[in-house]
Order: sequence, then C-alpha cells, then structure tokens
Amino acid sequence: MSFKIFIYPRQEASEIIVGHQFVLLISASMFCIGTVGFLIRKNPLIMFMSVELMLNSVNFLLIGYSNFLKSMDGQIFALIIMTVAAAEVVVGLAIILTIFRTRHDMDVDHINVLKG
Amino acid sequence: MFGFDFFELTRDVITLIVGLTALLASLGVILCSSPVYCALYLIGNMICLALLFLLYNAEFIAAVQIIVYAGAVMILFLFIIALLGGKKEVQEPSAQRSMAFVFVITMLGELFLSATVGPTKPIEGGFDLQTVAQVGGSAKAIGLELFSRHLVPFELASGLLLVAAVGIICLSKFSYTPVRRRAK
Repeated sequence: MSFKIFIYPRQEASEIIVGHQFVLLISASMFCIGTVGFLIRKNPLIMFMSVELMLNSVNFLLIGYSNFLKSMDGQIFALIIMTVAAAEVVVGLAIILTIFRTRHDMDVDHINVLKG
Repeated sequence: MFGFDFFELTRDVITLIVGLTALLASLGVILCSSPVYCALYLIGNMICLALLFLLYNAEFIAAVQIIVYAGAVMILFLFIIALLGGKKEVQEPSAQRSMAFVFVITMLGELFLSATVGPTKPIEGGFDLQTVAQVGGSAKAIGLELFSRHLVPFELASGLLLVAAVGIICLSKFSYTPVRRRAK
C-alpha cells in the first residue's frame, strides 16, 4: 500500500487525480478535535462551538471532493449543512439561555433533572 | 512531490499553511478555558476554512461561510457569552475524560486508515473550471444546480429556517417559571 500525500490535486497522464489525502487528513483531524471538545468540556457554549467545528470539517470535505469530482453537488450540500447549522445554533442558544434563566448555572454536570 | 512549477509550489505551500492554521485554531477552541477566547479562535478557524474553500475553487461558499458563520453565528455566540458572563472553566482530569481521549484516538486512527483510499476519477460532463467560467461563476453554477436538481432540499431548508425562527420566539417570549417543589 503506497501512501503518498499530495497537497493539491494533480492531473496525471491517465486522467486520475491524486491529492485528496490532504483534505481527508485535515478534515478527519478537525472532526476528532471537535469530538474531543464536545466530550471533555462542561460549558454548553463551548460544546456548541465543538459541534460547529465538526460541521465545518464535513463542509471542507464536501468542498474538496466537489473540486476533485468536478461536480457542484458537494457545494450544494455544504450550503444546506450551513443552513441546518445556523438553525441548530439559534435554537440551541435559546435553550441554553432558558436553562440559565431558570437555574443560574452553566455546568452541564449539574443539569441532571428534566424539571425546573 | 514538488515540480518546478512555481505556481503549483506556491499553491501547495499556501494550502498547507492555511490548513495547519485551521487545525491550530480548532485546537485553541477546545483548549482555552475562557469562552470569549474560544469564540475568537473559532472565528479564526472559520476564516481559515473560507480561505481553503477559495483555494478549492468554491468562491460562493467561501463568501457564505464568512457572512453566515464568521458574521452572524459568531456574533450570536459572543452576545450570548456577554449575556451569561464568560466564566472560566476549571479543567481537571477524570476517568470519563481519559475514556473520551481513548475513544477519539481510536476514531482518529480509523479515519486516517480510511484516508488511504485510492485515487478518484472526476465525473464525466461535470462542472470543471472551464464550464463554471462559461456559465458565469461559481454562484451561477450553484444556482443552476440548486434550482433544477436540488429544489426539494432547498425548499425543505427554507421550511427548517422558518420553524427555527418560530421556535426561538416561543422559547424566548413565553418565559418559563419554575414550578415550586411540593412541601412534604
């Protein structure tokens, strides 16, 4: 198994593009950093920021492959992921604000009952 | 790896630097203890990603990334942090935290293994650079595809935004008063 990392896609003689490893590595690393942030932080705002990191890494993967495959579908999916992320952030921040109003506490370890 | 083409060399170096900066900024998001610094690092990460989108020929998505994410969403985050008070978080090691690290390192290894897939071929008759330039730019090409083949997801996304707007009005306007605990 040969594993050569190309930073940017190259057109080779046989019409084959190499160069998606850079996109895959950066995207996988960013996704894992987001997962670690979501699992170890206790502030719900920073947990939301980690979710944004994960969504952004997937966006980057879609854009990179849309470039490699010469297709617009990846960019359209990235656009729709951005819409979903915006809606999710707005609703999540409203929920965090409501929790803070009723409990005056921001630690997710202390939020362990469903009633106020 | 590098040929003698100066343009390609410069493009490689710039892509590498911007990608590594994006990774460092995302590390800053999860390692800083103050939420305001986390938000600023996230803005840096999003700007780096917008530059990467520009390098990968997606100009419209890069503009949308700057406007929607670095503009709207992060301003919302900063306002919420200012409203709730950005308290510093004490981070101490625990068993759950080490379990999280083991889980994520396993996942990272699996993802890196999956990054060794073979080369891919472009789709025949897709939007290569000449076609996009002929159509009249990235935004126009996206519009042509979005309003022909991807119309249903587009309409569903608009419905989702409407539902979210109604939802946050309900959440923030009718404030919830906690029920008193019953005295035993």
